[in-house]
Amino acid sequence: MVAFARTVAKPAPRRWLSRRDWTPDLLLAPALVAIAAVMGFPLLYLVYMSVHKWSLIGDAAPVFVGAGNFTALVEDDRFLQSLFRTLYFTAAGLATNLPAGLGIALLLNREFFGRNVLRALLIFPIVATPVAMGLVWVVMLDPSLGVVRYMFGLVGVVNPPLWLSDTDWVIPTLVLVDAWMWTPMVALICSAGLAALPVEPFEAATVDGASAWQRFRYLTLPLLMPMLLVATMLRLMDLLKVIDIIYVMTGGGPGQASETINLYNYLVALSYDKIGYGAAVALVLFILVLLTTLGLVRLRRAA
Amino acid sequence: MTRATRLGRIGHAATAWALVLAMMLPFFWMVLGSFKTTRDFLAFPPVWLFRPTLDNYAQVFADSSFLRYVFNSTIVAVGATGIGLLLGIPAAYALARWRRTAMGVVLLAARMAPGIAFLIPIFVACLALHLVGGYTSLIASHLIFTLPLAVWMMVGFIEAVPIEIEQAALIDGCSVLSALVRIVVPLTGQGIAATAILAFIASWNNFLFALVLSNDATKTLPVAVLSYIGYNSIQWGSLMAAASVITLPVLALALCVQRYIVRGLVSGAVTG
Repeated sequence: MVAFARTVAKPAPRRWLSRRDWTPDLLLAPALVAIAAVMGFPLLYLVYMSVHKWSLIGDAAPVFVGAGNFTALVEDDRFLQSLFRTLYFTAAGLATNLPAGLGIALLLNREFFGRNVLRALLIFPIVATPVAMGLVWVVMLDPSLGVVRYMFGLVGVVNPPLWLSDTDWVIPTLVLVDAWMWTPMVALICSAGLAALPVEPFEAATVDGASAWQRFRYLTLPLLMPMLLVATMLRLMDLLKVIDIIYVMTGGGPGQASETINLYNYLVALSYDKIGYGAAVALVLFILVLLTTLGLVRLRRAA
Repeated sequence: MTRATRLGRIGHAATAWALVLAMMLPFFWMVLGSFKTTRDFLAFPPVWLFRPTLDNYAQVFADSSFLRYVFNSTIVAVGATGIGLLLGIPAAYALARWRRTAMGVVLLAARMAPGIAFLIPIFVACLALHLVGGYTSLIASHLIFTLPLAVWMMVGFIEAVPIEIEQAALIDGCSVLSALVRIVVPLTGQGIAATAILAFIASWNNFLFALVLSNDATKTLPVAVLSYIGYNSIQWGSLMAAASVITLPVLALALCVQRYIVRGLVSGAVTG
């Protein structure tokens, strides 16, 4: 009787359920809950904070200020300078990483003794703990005892720049350290792209008498463009967000000469206790990354 | 082969070797420096040949809190990797077999948002919940990058498994969950290991979240290493020894997953 009742009772909900297969949703649910908790909630909370005057010290309740934090940004010289510095850092980063990465990839594209060893070595700067390597670079770049000064001396440069201690050189120096870490990534991405290129067009071009430069300019480069854009996108996002190495190598100094927007954001929110204002800066940075990346994606579609 | 092309080939190989070896200088200098006495360290021009000392390592490990930081980093990285995989594998399975695409937007948002945008609200919330300084908040914050990484990597690995095996199992009465556990997980074992290593490295290297969410007892190695560099003095040898201890395991792990590095990087982790 019990068994029978069950078989009678069951079909109704089953038919309703069968409209949609819920299995994948159940499999996704735990991950989505976690994402909502660690990403969704913080971002919504961030938006809420950005329209408040908010302090953690004392027990003053947050005060709603509307767009006040955002309008204040326009008049905040330190913010605007950090924004321009970030754009400078990003442009310089892209201008060094992409050609250098492509160059290394081309160098590794031909078979030679130990090529795979070099490919493996190239991984090291990418995965090594950035904070630790940043500090190693601080030691190497030391203006009086550093090995970098010594090496410049070997090639006859007696008075090299003071690197991280010079307001004009600090950003280019940080760009070089960042390039050391991430150019290998660009190289490995381009290298994967080069390995997948079709052989026939190159054979045909050689038969037709195209020079090496022409083959590179009219075949390799356009065919590699999708991979180059992926590398550009990744670098663009991370250059705009740079903070780790700057925090440990200069702390934004000398003065504020290397204070990028992300570092300024950290200081405003967590050192100066202006939570609401810091949230507004974070949103602006997020939107900056979003817009430039999406702009690049459109460029890719157009190409 | 003509003489000219042979020379060209040797020149090509030599250029590549010289360039890549030059890029390895910071690692070489770090390890070399970790064996130098303070006197050798302060010599200029720098000394390349010297009597090595183990004092720096002895000093780093004699400080009992350093071992605690190693332990903290390990706990957080293992926790964030384990939970990331536990939640990420079923999600990746759903995405690979049922082609749900909404997740893609989430992954992209995680990649684009600056860490600080998550960090400020997480810090304020953890402060209210008394979670600052605990492992929970650190592990939860690292999920921001380990979970998307796990999903992204595992979708690729699962799609490479032929679907027929699961279909046969389902027809024989196997449930979806047990098909996942008994068929898909064993068949993607290598991929799971590679994903775990990449997530572990990302968590081990993370600085910003630990800087804010940890305290003296729970801080991780990237935060702890800062203490060797003070306002007016740098403990050169200890700094290099500590940097070597932090970095070398990561390099060794990365070599094991060499083939998957680019794939992992393209998905990317929050890097600041």
